[in-house]
Order: sequence, then C-alpha cells, then structure tokens
Amino acid sequence: MENHLLEVKGVDVLYGDVQAVWDLSIHVDEGAIVALVGANGAGKTTLLKTISGIIHAKRGEILFSGKSLAKLSPQEVVDKGISHVPEGRRLFSKLTVLENLKLGAYPPRARPLSAKSLERAYDLFPVLKERKNQTAGSLSGGEQQMLAIARALMAQPDLLMLDEPSLGLSPILVRTMFELICTLNNQKVTILLVEQNIHQALKIANQAYVLKTGKIAMSGRGDELLANQEVQKAYIGERWSKR
Amino acid sequence: MLKYLSVGLIAQLLVNGILFGTMYGIAAIGLSLIFGTMRIIFIAQGTMIIFLAYICYWLFTLLGIDPYLSLIIIVPLSLLLGMGIYQALFKEAAALEDKNISLLIAIGLMFLMENLMTVIWTGNPRSILTIYTSLVFRPIGIDLTFTRLVALLMAVLSTAGVVLFLKKTLIGMAVRAASEDMVSAALVGIGPHRVNAVAFAIGIGLAGIAGVSLATIYPFDPFYGFIFVLKALISLALGGIGNVFGALLGGIILGLLESLASFFLSGGWSDAISYAVFLLVLMFKPEGLFVRSIQKA
Repeated sequence: MENHLLEVKGVDVLYGDVQAVWDLSIHVDEGAIVALVGANGAGKTTLLKTISGIIHAKRGEILFSGKSLAKLSPQEVVDKGISHVPEGRRLFSKLTVLENLKLGAYPPRARPLSAKSLERAYDLFPVLKERKNQTAGSLSGGEQQMLAIARALMAQPDLLMLDEPSLGLSPILVRTMFELICTLNNQKVTILLVEQNIHQALKIANQAYVLKTGKIAMSGRGDELLANQEVQKAYIGERWSKR
Repeated sequence: MLKYLSVGLIAQLLVNGILFGTMYGIAAIGLSLIFGTMRIIFIAQGTMIIFLAYICYWLFTLLGIDPYLSLIIIVPLSLLLGMGIYQALFKEAAALEDKNISLLIAIGLMFLMENLMTVIWTGNPRSILTIYTSLVFRPIGIDLTFTRLVALLMAVLSTAGVVLFLKKTLIGMAVRAASEDMVSAALVGIGPHRVNAVAFAIGIGLAGIAGVSLATIYPFDPFYGFIFVLKALISLALGGIGNVFGALLGGIILGLLESLASFFLSGGWSDAISYAVFLLVLMFKPEGLFVRSIQKA
C-alpha cells in the first residue's frame, strides 16, 4: 500500500435525482500537486465539496491519512487538516482582512498556533498586512484570492484544496498564482487543484485527472497529459498545441 | 390644540420618544442577531421580553428584590434561557433547508408562552411600583423620568457591550462571519450550532434587559409581546439588518415617530403611521436608512 494522503474510492454524488459524480476514484500523495481538470460541469467542484463535507457521497469512501471522512461536517473536516478554498473565494466581505485571517485559525487544531500562522500569512502576502484593517470586500480581485488562500492556510492544513484560484485574474496575476502554488507546495503543503486554466495546471501537477461528465476520462502525470494529443485537442486547443 | 404648543412641549415629546424607542432598539438588536445566523424572524422575541418582565415582577413582589438589582439574576438567566431554547426547540430545525419550520416553531413558542403567562399571571396588566417609579428630574424644564433614563442607559450600555463582543471576541467574529456566509463559515471550521446558540443567548439576554426596563416603566400583560416584536421589526427595517447601532437608532426613530404622532394625531394613528413607515422603508430603502447603497465592483 502506497502512502496516499487522500484517497477517494468509487464515489457517487447526487444532487437530488441528478448524478454529478459517477464511481470516481482518485488519490493524492503526500507532498504532491494534483490537478483536476475538465470542462464546466465535469464534477470537479462537486468532488471538492464532497471531500470537504459540504455535500455527502451516496456511495463510496473517502479516506484521509487512512481514516474515513464519511459523515463528517465541513467544520470537522477542516479540523482534520483539509482546507478548501471554494470557487469565488467566499470571503467574509464585511469583516476586515485581519478578522478573516483570525477566523481561518478557528479549528481547535489551529487555534493555539494562530499568532504564528498570522506571521506566516503576512510573510507570504505582505499586502495583506498593509490592508489588515480594511474590509475584505474592499480588496482587489487578486488580493481577495490571496486572502482566501491565506485564510485557508491559517488552519494549518496538510491538504489545501483550491477551486479555480486563477479565475477572473489578469494574466500576470495568474502566473503569480501558479508560482504561489509551487511555493506552498515546497513548504510541504499538499495541493489538490481544480483549474480551467488547464495548460498551467498540468505544467505544475505531479498527477492529474481529466474529468468528463462526472467520470475520469484520463489520468497520469501532468507532463504526460500535457503532451497527450487527445488532451491537447479536447481541452487545450490550437493555441497551445502549436508550441 | 396648536396654541398649547411650545418649544418645551416639543422637546418633551422628543425626549419621551427617544427614551421609549431605546427599548424597541434593544429588542431589534436581538432580532437582528438571531436573524443573522438562523435566517428567521424570531417572532417570540417580544413575548420573551414580557416573560422576563414577569420574572422581574415576581422577584420584586415575592422576594422583594429591586428591579434593577434583579438584573444580576435576570441577565444570566435569560442568556441561559436563550441557549436552552435553541438547544431544545431549534437545533434540529436549524439544519433544514426550509426555514419556515423554524419560523413556525417560533410562532408556536409565542402562542404557548402567551397562554402559559395568562394561566400564571392572568390577563390583567401587572406593574411594578417602587419608590422611584414616579421620580422625575426637571433639569431644563423638561420632565425626565428616572426609570426611562435608566432604560436609556441600559440600552446604550448593552448595545455597546454587544458591539464589543461581536468585534473583539473570536466567537463574536464567528457570529458575524456566519451571518454573512454560513457555508464559508463552516469551511473555516465554524459550526452552525455554536453560533446559533450564541445568537440566541445574546438575543434573549437583551430581552431580559428590555423586560426589566419595560417592567419598571409600564404596566404589561401577556399579549403585549406580539405588538412589541412588530415594533422591533419596524426598528430593524429602519436600521437595516445586521447593523447593531442601526437597530438601536431605528428603535429611537420609531419611538420619536410614535411620540409625535400620538400627540398630534391620536394613539390609533400612531400605530398606523408606524406600519406605513415600515412598508415605505421596505419598498424604497430595504437595506435600512443608515446603509449607504454601495455599488458592487
């Protein structure tokens, strides 16, 4: 048995009568960057929501460090060491930057380390320190995304799940975002990344899964998939395949 | 009638309005907090105020405890009562998507308590008479009733206390966060039951303070709570949901409005005008009078 940090086995997820995820299995190794890519509605966000306990799987098993996450609520999952930065950031916009960060350390496992985590967050994102007394809603899009990630890191996660972190950012900020993901990964944070920006995501991913209508269409190392003709045609398009 | 009008009289009306409005205000703050996390109008809030006014009445008539002194019993009692009501009645329903269930429980609770109070204390109005009930100061020709001044003081202090709690403590921040986005709050580790219980505790805690204020100023009966909660609701609409000082100010504006309307028109008109203002605010400024409409970027 390999050393999987997260293991999703044969998971089915339904919204009412509509099945969004079919018999899906993925695994995330400790220290890796794993990318989930695919078109809209492929089930990527649903899978993240299922892992973090916002919705529950109908069938299948999710193991984190070998222990089942089934039936846990989101607040319990985050205390196990999985932080989820949801799509659209979902900051507490009326609260200040500092208040958002402090609440990031709300889980019991993170609370005693709050002051230290805050220092780390300010080291990673000096701009957040400058803006600590501003409301989160007054930040620019890029700053909001930084705050969302910084807030998630305050929980001292072993696994960080990022849902479309580059969405709505300028090309320069997109590059910064991917550099940041690599930096975090170098600091021993395992990353599960959902991205529309498939080319960039595959470039940094150790392992990647291509999802299609709730099932895995392809999987492999990031660079393998990037070189794969089929993936290029279906998801990346002409622009990239010419390179 | 206008020939009796004087600056002193107008000032008196304004002062009366402000002093009475603060009670609506603290009831409205309670409503606002509970609405924030539970997403329901806690319609039994006024009935809780009356119930706690009766407790104050009992402590006074049976045990001879001064109403203001009784706060040291009533405030902790009402905090616990709030938490207990949440645990016993709302915990299951709060997890449901359909908020109507919680609302119906609140309505049921209101009717149950109205009737229980009628059984225990009868439907006849009760009031507390102390040596300071009719104590009046006249600093500048305006009558300032002692009990109303204390009510104002208690309202301002408790509002400041609630604001400090929400701003400075981690659980207070969690309540504000959950009021904004419950799912996002859960993702950072904030459990809904904790924040709901805290919101209820503070909401009913404020009802305790309002109850003591009310009991020292006015006669009350079991059915006055419903009217009171409607007034609190109007205050909330004026002040904007989720704005603690706004709710207090909303209450004061309503108090002023009622005081002026009942003098210049009649008591009946005063209520009609309150409800008309309620509708007008909801139609034209639903975010409350004190919230600047911010264009979303």
